[in-house]
Amino acid sequence: MHIYAFGSVCRGDVSPGSDIDLLAVVQGHDPRFSPDDYSIYSYERIREIWGEGNPFAWHLAIESKLLYSSDKSDFLTSLGKPAAYRKCLQDCEKFFALFREARASFESQAESKVFDLSMVFLAIRNFATCFSLGTLDKPDFSRSSALRLGEHSLSIPRDAYKVLERSRILCTRAIGESITDREACMAFGQFSQIEGWMTGLLDQVGNRAARI
Amino acid sequence: MQHEFNDRIAAQRAILRVVNRKPWSSEQLLGLSSKAIDRWVSVNRIEPGSRLVKLVKDVSAKLFFLANKSQEQVSDEYTAIRAEMIAACDAIKIELEAATA
Repeated sequence: MHIYAFGSVCRGDVSPGSDIDLLAVVQGHDPRFSPDDYSIYSYERIREIWGEGNPFAWHLAIESKLLYSSDKSDFLTSLGKPAAYRKCLQDCEKFFALFREARASFESQAESKVFDLSMVFLAIRNFATCFSLGTLDKPDFSRSSALRLGEHSLSIPRDAYKVLERSRILCTRAIGESITDREACMAFGQFSQIEGWMTGLLDQVGNRAARI
Repeated sequence: MQHEFNDRIAAQRAILRVVNRKPWSSEQLLGLSSKAIDRWVSVNRIEPGSRLVKLVKDVSAKLFFLANKSQEQVSDEYTAIRAEMIAACDAIKIELEAATA
């Protein structure tokens, strides 16, 4: 068994609202670990994502710290660098689809609006992370990756971005004040801007993929 | 295969839509993490041992179980669990209808 911290705490990027991301690498099912508290992976699956050049593998390779090892080894370090990241276009398309589905859902009904805002945040964040990993010199795995892409950054009012981020935290960690109708409306007002940002970056990623 | 992630999200949304057809007194069910379910149970004063809560927690466990599987395993198991999700949606609908009858 190996336990790692990863993400914001390893970057020193901490704030009162930030959590500590933990990874447990285990052999088979281990009931000691709750998926609410840990990302739980088998050794086999970690090797697979390393071989795929999966963004999460790169995240772990760049931003993780070993907390505990049952055999004194550092399993992730022993794997070396993950394979080159080659699925930038597919991943960006996947997260664009996630955004479109959340937008359509938000516009069509009232039973999952906060969840839909949360999925918009997840789509934005993961899209930006994949874009940075696939096209920029320095990947950004942070919660604010979409705002830290230099000239490629998402440009929406900070308040609207915060509503999306709060929605995500509400839906996962269940912490924070409820989202009001006014706040949901404010975030919704930025959906067209977000969609335009994604389509613009998708064009760039597509053109880049066509050249390679 | 690459959209299995999005499929799991769609499955979560489908469950939330069914649960939130009922107008909850304080707050809708916002997500299917254990913490989100516990918050929904607490703020709406729902009986924690009720069948409804058990059904929602079972669905949650299945979705998070899938998230930790390898792609190859997910491909096989997702098909089976997708059918279970539809059945779970129906069971939750029936439970909510029974509670409001």
